[in-house]
Amino acid sequence: MKWIGFVCVIGAMAWIGHEVATKLAQRPKLIRMLKNALQIFEAEIVYSHATIQEACQQIATQIPDPLSQFFQHVTDRLDKNPDSLYAIWKEEVNNCWQTTALMNSEKEIILQFGRTLGQHDIVQQQKYIQLAQTHLDRKLADAEEMNHRYGRMTRSLGFLAGLFIALLLL
Amino acid sequence: MLGDTSILFQIAGIGIIVAMIHTILKQMGKEEYAQFVSLVGFIIVLLFVLNSIQDLFQEIQTVFFFRG
Amino acid sequence: MEIFEVVSMGMVASVLYLIIKDKQPAIAYFIVILTVISLFLYVIQYVREVLHLITYLGDMANIHSVYIKTILQIIGISYVAEIGANIVRDAGLESVALKIELVGKVFILILAVPIFRSLVETIIGIFPM
Repeated sequence: MKWIGFVCVIGAMAWIGHEVATKLAQRPKLIRMLKNALQIFEAEIVYSHATIQEACQQIATQIPDPLSQFFQHVTDRLDKNPDSLYAIWKEEVNNCWQTTALMNSEKEIILQFGRTLGQHDIVQQQKYIQLAQTHLDRKLADAEEMNHRYGRMTRSLGFLAGLFIALLLL
Repeated sequence: MLGDTSILFQIAGIGIIVAMIHTILKQMGKEEYAQFVSLVGFIIVLLFVLNSIQDLFQEIQTVFFFRG
Repeated sequence: MEIFEVVSMGMVASVLYLIIKDKQPAIAYFIVILTVISLFLYVIQYVREVLHLITYLGDMANIHSVYIKTILQIIGISYVAEIGANIVRDAGLESVALKIELVGKVFILILAVPIFRSLVETIIGIFPM
């Protein structure tokens, strides 16, 4: 009975460490995905002269899951009331960020970017997209360094913490 | 008969694990957390030792000084 | 044979001490303290039997219980002082250990004063002035 408890404690703590590590590993992937999405956005707006809704629809079909849902929701809601782009954008960003491994700094960048959407002509808009890209680049390097430094550490740290607690309860 | 040796192993285990966590945190560059973890391990072990010191002194008092 | 238990416990403790010493000297020192304490706790049971014998003999010989009590207290003080001095000495504080022993000696002297006084009074009582 005692040993089952130990295994439970150690397993739970190791699992927490693993979870944190996967979150850390996911963040650079998601940021890369975001950059990809912005590239598509740029292509759609500058070269195809698409509307924001069409661009979002296009992105949603081309990008894998957590972000495609975000763009899909934006498209759907823009269908219903096309006036308040920024409000919709903000709400959806908030929704999306709760479930993914992305952090507040990326959220700020995307919110800033959303504020500029549809306010300017194509050339200006392109500049804003590029600005967001460079910001995301910096965050990407940041996230990759964090993942590199802490990824494996958190896993072993979780396991060790479990072992420690189990030993205390011995 | 002899007070069980398991407490020795327990404390040694705590020491080893604290040392490992300390090195890992140090590698991560979180010196202050590493110090904190060391301190926590130290205090926990101190509690164990205090308990057994209390046992010993009480035993001595009952044997030599006729006090309950 | 309990001596094997004691020896093996000492060996286990020393191995554990060697493992921890480099990383966490404080915890390694706690291992030493715990070993010392459990050894003393172990041996005090036998001391208790011997002391019971001493008090029993004292009762048989009709010695005043104050004397026996004082002697036992003196032994107890030396025991405690020995433990404390050993533990402190293990940490490398030789001078503090010496002071603890010194204080123990002084306390023993203080405890011995009433016995010595009654001895002198008895001697004076034997020779009429």
